[in-house]
Amino acid sequence: MHDVVQIGPSSSQRRPLTGLAGRYVYCVADAGVQASLGNVGLEHSEVYTIPWQDICAVVHNCPPQPYLSGDRDAVQAWVMTHQRTVEAAWATWGTVLPLAFDTIIVAAAGGGADQQVADWLSREYGSLKARIQRVKGAAEYGVQVFWDTASAAREVTLSSLDAGKLRAQASSASPGMAYMYRLQLEHLLRNAMEAKGAELSRGLYDRIRAHAAEVRVEKAKQAEPGLRMVLSLSCLVHPDRYAQLGQELDKIGREQGLRVRFTGPWPPYSFVRDC
Amino acid sequence: MLDIEDKSLKQGVLGLVIALVEIIRDALRLQALRRVEGGSLTEAEVERLGRALMDLETTIEEIKQEQGIAETVRSVREGMDNVVDDILKLTASPLEWVRRGEEGQERCTTLSK
Repeated sequence: MHDVVQIGPSSSQRRPLTGLAGRYVYCVADAGVQASLGNVGLEHSEVYTIPWQDICAVVHNCPPQPYLSGDRDAVQAWVMTHQRTVEAAWATWGTVLPLAFDTIIVAAAGGGADQQVADWLSREYGSLKARIQRVKGAAEYGVQVFWDTASAAREVTLSSLDAGKLRAQASSASPGMAYMYRLQLEHLLRNAMEAKGAELSRGLYDRIRAHAAEVRVEKAKQAEPGLRMVLSLSCLVHPDRYAQLGQELDKIGREQGLRVRFTGPWPPYSFVRDC
Repeated sequence: MLDIEDKSLKQGVLGLVIALVEIIRDALRLQALRRVEGGSLTEAEVERLGRALMDLETTIEEIKQEQGIAETVRSVREGMDNVVDDILKLTASPLEWVRRGEEGQERCTTLSK
């Protein structure tokens, strides 16, 4: 259990480069250079690189503990800074493997922090290079497909034979029984919509998968009222398939009751770990 | 003088309570449906069950209207799923923050009819 240090975004002190035992790692870049990106890091820290052969870690110096705060706005500001720094590295060196927020390498006994980072790069060199090759030139895109619940309910109602029978029974029964029939009807419709939604998302997944080098299925979240998210994907896409993906999404977006949200390009956050 | 803090605290607590009641109500409905479909209940029993659930529904709606907490209840129920998800996922992936906050920004291209 380490000590928790509260740091807020309002403290704009410049940290001295020496004497800090932690290296906050933003990403690994496909370039064996020693360079500085300027004071673009968290808390206006200077971001620079620690190279090993033909790759480098993009870091800033920090105390050897994570950035923690109870203030949600403060954390959000840090996370946005992290994101912007990774993008700056991406723009500068073309291919990067982004690391998660708050990844810090700490100096161990018998070696400085910079050495620790270089050792880490050297140990992981093989798998880092392999990952770099897989994401080289590609970008991450987010694809979310939504289903208009009104049109979904309509599609499902038409094909449900039991529903008709239940409705007929409900209109002739006593209040309590009518209520139970109504509950049954809603239950049936909900199940049918679930099934149709699953079938739909399987088909869409296959169509989108064809245009991406790699795809990760994300958890479908609550959408705005009237819409249901049926599919949420992170896609690793190379430039030569981008146009086809766009066309496929366009086609999907024009289909009955469907809406597509296409975001990106991002550095390949979701494709750094081997699945 | 209107004490805003007291009022919104009361609303928050009531909203939470009614959200929990609704969740219990949903579980009761499922139970009731299973028993009805199981075929072991008489018509009179089904009628009583239906009435009880109907009355529960009406009471919940009345409370929500009278206390003006319909919106609070809705957002509590929505929030319940997302809370833990948020904390775990967002600090692990900065991308989620940006995706969440990107409505209307240049990076977002919405393709729809």
